[in-house]
Amino acid sequence: MVQINLPKNSEVTKGKYYQDKTGSKNIRKVNVYRWDPSTEENPRLDTYEVDMDNCPSKVLDILNKIKNEIDPTLAYRRSCAHGVCGSCAMNMGGKNGLACTTPHAEIDGDIDIYPLPHLRVKRDLIGDLDGLYKQYQSIEPWLKTNSKTETTEIVQSKEDRAKLDGAYECIMCACCSTSCPSYWWNGDKYLGPAVLLQAYRWIVDSRDDERKARLKKVADELKLYRCHTILNCTSACPKGLNPAKAIAEIKKMIAVANV
Amino acid sequence: MENRNPLSPHIQIYRWHISSLVSISHRITGIINIVAITLICIWTASLILGDTNYDFINLFLTSIFGKFIVIGLVWSFSFQILSEIRHLLMDMGYGFELQTTRITGLVVIFGSIFLTILIYLIARNFI
Repeated sequence: MVQINLPKNSEVTKGKYYQDKTGSKNIRKVNVYRWDPSTEENPRLDTYEVDMDNCPSKVLDILNKIKNEIDPTLAYRRSCAHGVCGSCAMNMGGKNGLACTTPHAEIDGDIDIYPLPHLRVKRDLIGDLDGLYKQYQSIEPWLKTNSKTETTEIVQSKEDRAKLDGAYECIMCACCSTSCPSYWWNGDKYLGPAVLLQAYRWIVDSRDDERKARLKKVADELKLYRCHTILNCTSACPKGLNPAKAIAEIKKMIAVANV
Repeated sequence: MENRNPLSPHIQIYRWHISSLVSISHRITGIINIVAITLICIWTASLILGDTNYDFINLFLTSIFGKFIVIGLVWSFSFQILSEIRHLLMDMGYGFELQTTRITGLVVIFGSIFLTILIYLIARNFI
């Protein structure tokens, strides 16, 4: 169901204001979504004045600076800081991305930082991705072969291997799925761009024997055809992949595969 | 147990871009067109009941407000046609690169305005 407004307990209120204490002349205001599960209060938007003269270039650096120097209670996920692990996916300046690869210079005005959209918040910038992981599990993302006698490796030609380019690089950061309005409102049934890109990755793998069964599994009005080419997914992907195109390719394969 | 954690903001904070604007406009113009086609059918069918019915609606449509509606519908049809062509190309797997989607989106938006003006001028015998 399309629900434009947030539920009553999710409405964001104005939060605290942390004034700069360093006396720096190069200040940027950073608005960060906060929610503390130990209180009954609504989420709030705290504003931090951050000294940009002593801050490296990425949004994650700002968050680290806030946590280390201003407010240690801020909670967010991060790990590799190189755009490889996908932990620090969040919404910055109205667009999803990885905090560790998004330069803050690209955001105009005050920097707004929210958790990934339309998720149950666990705390501050941490959203609950369990639903997405369950859907990922449902497409059975592993190689399936029917052969019981094969003892050597399954050889793949260079051309067949090239088909996986643009699909295998996905780090499952959920930037695309949580940017998709169709996924916001039908996330319980629609698989969403991230999971469908992975479904595509196993469908086109020449070594996989279950292609037809895989196609049949996603050939469903709600699982697949909720994509309306809004293309928030492709423009959000921090790895430059194209989930929207992968979904279109699955639709094409289903149209000719007679499943 | 029901999850009582707050829902993170979504459409309230997400930035619009050309493709998302074209996509939502495609839906809105689609709904407008269904209503419009129904009204045009009723208008035509009302002829059966005599030409006074026709004149009544004709009078409305030639009023300033009526003209505004007619031009609006012409735009809505133009937009739908161009956007549908874009969708057909996408269904065939073309035009998914970010730069291409931006260009085709702009073509749809400005093309629909251009088509509206063109149809207006042709209909008024200006060209």
